[in-house]
Amino acid sequence: MKKIMLFTLALLVGLSLAACGGDEGSQTGSGEPFDGFIKVGFILIGSKTDGGFSQAHANGIDELEAYFAGLVKTMAVENVDDQNRQDIRSAAENMIDAGCRVIIGCSYGYMETMAELADEYPDVDFLHFSGSMMNDTNFDNFFGAMEEPRYLAGIVAGMMTKSNKIGYVAAYPYTEVQIGINAFALGVQSVNPSAEVNVVYINTWYDPEKEKSAAQALLAQGCDVLEQHCDTAGPIIAAQEAGAYAIGYNLDKPDSAPKAYLTAPVWDHGAYYIDVVKKILDGSFSPESYYGNMASGYVDLAPLSDLVPSEVKAKVDEAKAQIISGELAPFSGEILFADGSVLCEEGQTLTRGDIWDINSVIKGVNATE
Amino acid sequence: MQNTAIQMNNITKSFGSLAANENVNFTVFNGEVHALLGENGAGKSTLMNMLSGIYSPDSGSIFVNGEAVRFSSPKDSIALGIGMIHQHFKLIDVLTAKENIIIGQKGSFFTKGKALSTKIKKLSDEYGLDINPDKKVYDMPVGEKQALEIIKVLYRGANILILDEPTAVLTPQEIKKLFNIIRNMREKGCAIVIITHKLGEVMEISDRITILRRGRSIGTVATKETEVPSLIEMMVGKKVDLSIKKRKSENNEELLVLDEVTVLDGEKKQALKSVSFSLHAGEILGVAGVAKSGQKELCESIAGLVPAEKGRIFFNGENILGKSPGEIIKMGIRMGFIPEDRLGMGLVAGMDIVHNIILKDYQGQKGVFLKRGPCVQKAERIVDSLSILTPSVFTPVKKLSGGNIQKVLLGREIDSDPKVLITAYPVRGLDIGASYKIYDLLGEQKERGAGVLFVGEDLDVLMELCDRVMVLCDGRVTGIVDPDKVTKEDIGLLMTGMSERRRADDQNR
Amino acid sequence: MIKIAKRAELPKNREWAIRAAAVLLSIVFAGTVLAALGFDPIKVFAQIVNGSVGSQMRLNQTILKAIPLTITSMGILVAFKMKFWNIGGEGQIMMGAMGATYAALHLPPDLPSAAMLVLVAAAAVVCGGAWAFIPAYFKARFGTNETIFTLMMNYIAIKWVTYLQYDLWKDPSSFGFPRIAAFPPSAVLPKLFGVHVGWLVAVLSVVLVYIFINHTKKGYEVTVIGESVETARYAGMNIKYIMITTMLVSGGLCGLAGMVQASAIEKTLTYSLSANFGFTAIITTWLGRLSAPAVAVCCFAFAMLIQGGAYLQIALLIPASVAEMIQGIILFFVLGSEFFIQYKVAFDHRAIKGVA
Repeated sequence: MKKIMLFTLALLVGLSLAACGGDEGSQTGSGEPFDGFIKVGFILIGSKTDGGFSQAHANGIDELEAYFAGLVKTMAVENVDDQNRQDIRSAAENMIDAGCRVIIGCSYGYMETMAELADEYPDVDFLHFSGSMMNDTNFDNFFGAMEEPRYLAGIVAGMMTKSNKIGYVAAYPYTEVQIGINAFALGVQSVNPSAEVNVVYINTWYDPEKEKSAAQALLAQGCDVLEQHCDTAGPIIAAQEAGAYAIGYNLDKPDSAPKAYLTAPVWDHGAYYIDVVKKILDGSFSPESYYGNMASGYVDLAPLSDLVPSEVKAKVDEAKAQIISGELAPFSGEILFADGSVLCEEGQTLTRGDIWDINSVIKGVNATE
Repeated sequence: MQNTAIQMNNITKSFGSLAANENVNFTVFNGEVHALLGENGAGKSTLMNMLSGIYSPDSGSIFVNGEAVRFSSPKDSIALGIGMIHQHFKLIDVLTAKENIIIGQKGSFFTKGKALSTKIKKLSDEYGLDINPDKKVYDMPVGEKQALEIIKVLYRGANILILDEPTAVLTPQEIKKLFNIIRNMREKGCAIVIITHKLGEVMEISDRITILRRGRSIGTVATKETEVPSLIEMMVGKKVDLSIKKRKSENNEELLVLDEVTVLDGEKKQALKSVSFSLHAGEILGVAGVAKSGQKELCESIAGLVPAEKGRIFFNGENILGKSPGEIIKMGIRMGFIPEDRLGMGLVAGMDIVHNIILKDYQGQKGVFLKRGPCVQKAERIVDSLSILTPSVFTPVKKLSGGNIQKVLLGREIDSDPKVLITAYPVRGLDIGASYKIYDLLGEQKERGAGVLFVGEDLDVLMELCDRVMVLCDGRVTGIVDPDKVTKEDIGLLMTGMSERRRADDQNR
Repeated sequence: MIKIAKRAELPKNREWAIRAAAVLLSIVFAGTVLAALGFDPIKVFAQIVNGSVGSQMRLNQTILKAIPLTITSMGILVAFKMKFWNIGGEGQIMMGAMGATYAALHLPPDLPSAAMLVLVAAAAVVCGGAWAFIPAYFKARFGTNETIFTLMMNYIAIKWVTYLQYDLWKDPSSFGFPRIAAFPPSAVLPKLFGVHVGWLVAVLSVVLVYIFINHTKKGYEVTVIGESVETARYAGMNIKYIMITTMLVSGGLCGLAGMVQASAIEKTLTYSLSANFGFTAIITTWLGRLSAPAVAVCCFAFAMLIQGGAYLQIALLIPASVAEMIQGIILFFVLGSEFFIQYKVAFDHRAIKGVA
């Protein structure tokens, strides 16, 4: 198995050299002779074992290393505050100094710093998760249609709630988060039109205590199913303590609260990492603003836990098949914002661009900032 | 009676490179009063601190009642019957005498009040102490507080007592009382060590005297067989001329007039009560009084450091009350106040001589930068003229000895040729030779036409040096007398608050 | 039995011997811990040094970390010299950065960069100074305790900036993400020799503070007040006035550090901008014994420790927590040694004859 991998890699390298022809190495960077392996550096907002967002990336890192069997080396700086450019820059530059030719930043707030660094280090490729900035040569962003699994999660929540009150612990009142809330709410409404979604913004991506206490506040309001857009397992644990259900995010991790955990919209970062590193190695990489979806396998809904009855499972499976086949798009048909203005008209399906213009929540969602 | 209470053999104790005690020998018998005599820095306190267990000696041995001992804390020393009475009382003001006695004693919490009172009564009768066990400390005059300190030590079973400068805070009358108590204790067989530098008292109370000089024991003499001049010679190491030249001055206009000045202290109590007097050019006006009678507030109110509650202060006819210290300095009023810790006010301990000299000059300099040049010369001149012992003018003053520190302070103030010079305790802690040098300097200032206000402790000196002596008691002026026409006892009575009329009545009786 | 006693002053070489011993001990101790965790201690320490000065880029990183620390430390030093315990560096940095941001976003962006930067810095100094003025005024006027006061002012400043970031000054064009608009290019500190010119500001602040303390009348007054308020009063100094103006300088310098961070690093204002520099500066100022050049050296050493620790994660794949633990151990010993410089501890096992 390993031998095949080595062979593949050698082949890839050979191909890339052939493809580059005269100006060899201009894509992979450095100008130094390629020494047989490539180093990829990751900047993570939390710790690799945070049980959520950063751990999902860490799993992807492991997959990347395993796939290339030692020919790709990775390193990561953990706990890098995405509000502190000094730390972000320090992490990136230290890894570049240590030989990294690819820097992957995994939090939205790293965006401007990475854009600057991309200018300063044209030989290094910068890949930014969840951002909107890119250039033509060495700075790209990547993200996924999380609205698809969020919609499925909404179906689960809509069918599981008894109080018809669903809680949603959200990070910031920011587009990415609001897309998720709206897709989730649409999923809820597709099976349970009378259920409401209550959102609390905690104004941070990563803060185990805040996440948990926001969840407790929602539970106290009578919510009996929780969903979250924040990084740790805090809300799930809070739900289990209150005897409610919860849907996670980022990572399929039933063991932290097995009596509450239903499922989670998850990322498969490894798939993207492997793909993009391959392209970098063979010289075919150029910024494209990658946007994976359920069809491509980059996002998915984790397997439903045993707490979920079979009719719910059937409903989810049906919707999932429709999404993958393209029959169903979460943002289609008449959708109104909470203030009554129109997000989507009857018969219309929002494009990726339309979706990323969302800046508010839809009808049926109560959000407090 | 001649069995030894304490024997200290070849005691050596060093602090860093400084040897505070070097091969000191010291023996005290039961039933004697033994004076430990020496100038400041001679090593008296260090020696006694080793006896009370605060320090341990580097080498040498200590025997108490004939047994070799090693103290690791004051507790060990107390357990062997050694009690030290410090210069600064360690009493709690809001507690009664009784409570102060039992505080910190093992099991004291449950001691029966009545039994205790009886025991205290018995002790005070035995030694002639006058103590009311239920009186609060803040109601006690200084002499009574001291008696309480003594009884506290006796209560703990001490039969070896060390008194550190016990007379510093007392009036002549209180000193007499204290000496009676000490004699009573001697009768009962106690061993008493008294640390002092007042020679008159040594001659009066002690049986034997041990003299220390620069950390070494110079010798032990029987009081009856010695004279003051030879004691001084042993203390100082040479013969000293002990006369104060009283100089005369032609100029005698009124320089400074205080009119009904009242000053509050930090606790809003009146520290000075309607004080009025005038200071003339070409005179030294002495200020006598027991400690904390308002001397500090008097000096500070003239220097503009504390605001007066009422009254007026005139300098050359101009009311200076309300002016800032800086303005008053510019007018030519200088003050040198030596507080008990010596460095609290007037000098900056961590700074060198030059920077301490600059303190009064820098405000006159132009520009934002500090010019050291002229001050270095000035510092060197002052060091020269007052023979200040220092490695250089760039040595931090805290590394100098007490006397030299005071010379720096006084030298700076005198150097500016002030019109009014206020000095408080300028010889505190100085050796005898240096003290007389300072008196001479003050005399020179007077001759030059300055008005000198001299706050002093030693009545003998006040009477000899000053043209007039003003006595303060509890913030009030109880009299301004001509020292040539009154006795020390008269001044002592004024210090206790008896007015001149009362004194006259007493004499008539 | 253990006896603790205050030392008479130690000779300078003894002091440095104790410090050196502390560093050595910390290395031995941290090394033991590392070995127990399965890391090669020698390699780790080599990498701390290598990671902080081993290449131009690493050196630049170290300098970047030393810059705000040094400027802040200079501000703290001025206050500490007066024995005014300014624990409020954090808040003064924040308010300085806020002033800088206000100026940078409201002045015409096409101003010449030099003029823009001077104005932005001036706004920072004024705001940082103003934040320090408040506790100084209260201490001078009412004798309030400046330690608690300045400490609490930190939290007010940080929360205030958080509010600005999340609400009042939130950039409408940031898709709802709570951030303040970026500085225009004219308000961004340029680079000089590979590092933003903040390093020049830091060097200048060290030189100026040194001159201020040692060669100006005002600096002399500050020192005298620090040594003895009574003496200062007696010398006719206007203590309240000096206290307030000195705190303006102290807060102004901290504010300047905030400007440097906002302009050169963040290019905007964020609530985490002060990044504990205000507190770390207290340590460096203390270790440097309130002498500007020594404090500057301590700041650099501290930055080396931070950068070297960060590099460990990358070079040896040591977890961040272990790297921070090593930093903690080294600091513990070095700060602890100050205790042994000021106090001596004697073990006394000798029996006491005749005493129970």
